Amino acid sequence: MDKGKITLLVIIALLLAIQILDRSREPEQMLAFAERIEESQESLRQQQVEFNIIVEAIKEKGIELTGGGKGEGGHVDPLRDGKPKLYANFLLPHNDGHFNPTYVGGTLKVYQSSPKGLNPIVENSATASDANGYINDSLCSFHPRHPQLWSEGLATSCIISDDYLTYTFYLRDEVYWQVPEIAKKSEFEWLNKKVPLTANDFVATFETVMNPDVECPQKKAYWDDMESVTALANNIVQVKWKVKVYTSLNTSMSISPLPRHIYSFNEKGEEYSKEEYGLAMNKHWFDEMRQAVGVGAYVLDEFTPDKVISFKRNLDYWGRGYHFDRIEWEGLVKDQDPQLVGFKNGDVHAHGLSPTQFKSEVLDRNEPRFAAREVNNPKAGRAGEFAWEQVRSRSYSYIGWNMRSVLFNDKLVRRAMTYAFPKQRIIDEVYYGLGRPQVANVHPDSVYYNPNIKDHVFDLKKAAALLDEAGWKDSNGDGIRDKLINGQKKDFEFTIKYYASSVEWDSTLIIFKNQLREIGVVMTPKSFEWKELLRVYEDKDFEAVSGGWRFGLEVDFVQLWHSKYAEEPRSSNHCGFKNKRADEIAEKLRNTFDQEERIKIAKEFQEIIFEEQPYTFFRSGEGIFIWQNTDKGENNKVLGVEEGLDTYHPLYSREKLLWHLSKE
Amino acid sequence: MLAYLIRRVLWMIPTFLIILIINFGILRLQRPPLSYEMSGGQSQEEAGSRDAEKGQANLKNHLGRLKRTGNNLPSLINLRGFVDKDDMIEILEDLQSKTGVKESERYEQELELMISGHMSVEPLVEILKDESLKSLHGPASQAFMMCAYTPLNYEDRFEYSSEELGEIQLRNKSLADMAINYTNEIDKAFKVDDENYESKRENILNYYQRHQSIYVQSERRWGAIFGDTGFMVFMGKLFTGKLWSETKKRYVFEVIAERWQVTLWLNIFSIMIAWGIAIPLGIRSARQKGTLEDKTTTNILFFLWSLPSFFIGSLLLHHLCTDSSTGAALFPHRGLSSDDSLWYGTLRYLLDIAYHGLLPLIVLTYASFTVLSRYMRSNLLEQLNADYVRTARAKGANEDKIVYGHSLRNSMITMVTLGAGLISELFAGFIIVETIFTIPGLGLLLLDAVLQEDAPLVMGSAVISVTLLMVGFLIADVLYAVVDPRIRSQYG
Repeated sequence: MDKGKITLLVIIALLLAIQILDRSREPEQMLAFAERIEESQESLRQQQVEFNIIVEAIKEKGIELTGGGKGEGGHVDPLRDGKPKLYANFLLPHNDGHFNPTYVGGTLKVYQSSPKGLNPIVENSATASDANGYINDSLCSFHPRHPQLWSEGLATSCIISDDYLTYTFYLRDEVYWQVPEIAKKSEFEWLNKKVPLTANDFVATFETVMNPDVECPQKKAYWDDMESVTALANNIVQVKWKVKVYTSLNTSMSISPLPRHIYSFNEKGEEYSKEEYGLAMNKHWFDEMRQAVGVGAYVLDEFTPDKVISFKRNLDYWGRGYHFDRIEWEGLVKDQDPQLVGFKNGDVHAHGLSPTQFKSEVLDRNEPRFAAREVNNPKAGRAGEFAWEQVRSRSYSYIGWNMRSVLFNDKLVRRAMTYAFPKQRIIDEVYYGLGRPQVANVHPDSVYYNPNIKDHVFDLKKAAALLDEAGWKDSNGDGIRDKLINGQKKDFEFTIKYYASSVEWDSTLIIFKNQLREIGVVMTPKSFEWKELLRVYEDKDFEAVSGGWRFGLEVDFVQLWHSKYAEEPRSSNHCGFKNKRADEIAEKLRNTFDQEERIKIAKEFQEIIFEEQPYTFFRSGEGIFIWQNTDKGENNKVLGVEEGLDTYHPLYSREKLLWHLSKE
Repeated sequence: MLAYLIRRVLWMIPTFLIILIINFGILRLQRPPLSYEMSGGQSQEEAGSRDAEKGQANLKNHLGRLKRTGNNLPSLINLRGFVDKDDMIEILEDLQSKTGVKESERYEQELELMISGHMSVEPLVEILKDESLKSLHGPASQAFMMCAYTPLNYEDRFEYSSEELGEIQLRNKSLADMAINYTNEIDKAFKVDDENYESKRENILNYYQRHQSIYVQSERRWGAIFGDTGFMVFMGKLFTGKLWSETKKRYVFEVIAERWQVTLWLNIFSIMIAWGIAIPLGIRSARQKGTLEDKTTTNILFFLWSLPSFFIGSLLLHHLCTDSSTGAALFPHRGLSSDDSLWYGTLRYLLDIAYHGLLPLIVLTYASFTVLSRYMRSNLLEQLNADYVRTARAKGANEDKIVYGHSLRNSMITMVTLGAGLISELFAGFIIVETIFTIPGLGLLLLDAVLQEDAPLVMGSAVISVTLLMVGFLIADVLYAVVDPRIRSQYG
């Protein structure tokens, strides 16, 4: 064969290959086309609903369409102030004052790691519960402006009785379960019906969690003290507790209903036997089909694990819902770098920066589209094409001192360590100003925070004096402090164990080490992998250790500080903190429901902790939040973020559902 | 030739098995401690922060999952059936807190006993029957409650009938409240500390009386030595395709099936590019040995070779794939095709893929140019200095004919060997490239699996990559035969 023939053959083969590829893509294209038609029909229906919402709003409020809304102010029962009390409905009326019909529309896109599944009982990841929060509602809810006050959710009334052991909820009328997407298929036609929400759906949640065969150990632990959930009538749910404990409040109010009309049936529509039900729940056919339903403001639209999960407006929602038509979570991009590039290219509306990214992008001005930082203006970041702002997170970090060791069993020494720790300098230099000095064991944004405690601000002289007072002096002139303990001379030398993958802790401890060296104390940092570090905590195998805690807004001091846990293996009280008064009030706090009383107790508790200094408290977490601030012609500017940052509670200031997108 | 091929294929089987065993062994060594697994997997997200509100996990509730993964069984040899009363006494005494023994290690041992299942029930009951061992009755009763428990999971739904399930559930239910409270203080013997000691103990013995037949394991213990092991569970699942990924909540091969094509195509193209560029480069260098051009290429190639690919990848991503304030990016920053590529005509579709694939391919291949072309160059030089080339030159053959007709083919033998290794090397490269350019292939999957400690998924990916490697070797073997007439003649 000559070259010409070969070339000809190759060309023919290539053309054939292209033809084959062409054909193979056809069925997929047809499918996608059909889907598009369906979508456009859907969107027509949606526009109809939006139009109705606007008309309704105009009727309700006259011509004025901005903010305000029903619920805030107005004429309501004075007992309904959102603060838990006995024998009265204390729930604030449902408030959708955030809703403005002119803002309706658009798709919000964010990066969010993909949940493995959406089963509301078995899945315990944070993303799964976020997703379920969009799809489903709970008995009661709160507005991010006042996260401490409860308002109506699926329940319109909540009455607590029996010394906080019994909670009775009256359900809202006319709430219907969403109909899942698969009900359109002929084999799942039995699902294609409007099912009303009843009290039994809440009983189903309780019974499923308590079923020994259902694998949800984390939930079981929380619900352990719950005695029963019963349906007194079709619209009355009663939750009973075995013991009076403050956490029962939160747990009872946030129970979500379970769609038992789906979960207790198999894929053919036959009811599971009692024996099978628990086992089937662990790997339910409905979850396998990547479906989820609820009674919430959004409907699950598409769920492809590790790729995308999207929600669309629930057209039959009982409330008025939120502004976005769709919400999309992008789950494939997981690495920091590609995520930032994706944000810059407009893939997502909002994102975050790590401290190092913050340094290079904003502080070093490598990305001119972020506005520069200004010392006296915390809102300066809002000016750029990409807006940024320093936001708070629910965590604080600390250095823990082992109170069983001869070095740190003296509170004077622990106090000296705090004086020798240049908190503010480290926050500024290592964390680029992200964070605030933490003084005691309550997050500064919590209502329980005690602002009267004045921190031991960095002062080496005071530290040295305290060490002298505690008997640690340099007696042999080698530059290291020492003390006679049980007849033996002991140098002040110790090892601090910390989390290996944190560059910030590396630098922090180097600075601390140098400060300590100046007052004759030798500290050796030693890094550990996360799991090894967990063992260090468990074994209490340290002299000093770095750490961090994440918190909710409520406080409970027993787990971390009670002396019954000081010697108990694997407890969270790894420093061995023991204090009688602290024990008393920690226990009292557990079953005190009156908020003012609780605040008083918590404040006293912080004073004890501060006096004892079991930890050198370090910083309460802060991060950088970024969002799209210009319109690139694709309606991708996010609005409402600033309002959230300015008026909502700092820990809830990024409530995405209350934003909206630019219209033009 | 056929005999040669068959022989090569047969060799693959033991190699494959050995690789699997080694792989499994390493993963099992790396198994997270039970206590960690049971605490519900604390996340590492916020550098060293822990959840303060995490409750104590419910131990029994973990058994179903452990049973499913085979993590409740010893890795390779199971001797639990041979533990008698005396051994059990020793095991229980080891659970005593002592100074010098780390609590986490002690706890780990305790958990190992708790999950050891029906085989430990008999010796435990013997201890509980023995009144003289009262001090051990506390821990023994707790272990009994856990070991006598029959974990159920969704697969059992198809194995047992409803009545049988009900029976097991009833049995499990009756196992509650049998734990005898006891104290475990450092360096002191266990002490029973329970008002209801007598009644609880009676309950246990009654229970055992009623269900004795289930827990007598002496007949099963020989078969269990190799049969009831983590490795066998794993192999069984591997060959039936039932390997289950806990983090993805799907069958491993199902997840891989979605991903492998992307990686394979990238692989094929990058090999084609690497060879298509490196070999001519090498030939040219060899023929112009010592000239300025040769030296320049050599230096440039080594410069490229010394740049790590994650660095180049990030550089390209930030500078060529990021929109700036003045204009759009030159290249797409993610994926292998545009979002609406489905609607493109086929030619445009192909071009779209090429456009998306260009940068990832560059990052994947630039480093292999150096190695390949250097090898090509030195091999060819070696051949060009050989006697037969001198003879050919003496006979007046032209230089092209010498290089392409004689030397090149001889020097390809080494190149073929290199090629087989290249496949597995590239596989490692995919992890980086796929992460940077967000390409949903095996590399991204593997990285995910490793970070989330999803052992079955890691193993599944490893099986695939081993298979790829084997196929690579097989192709290399065939190519050997093609380029080396000696092999062909040996096998007729």
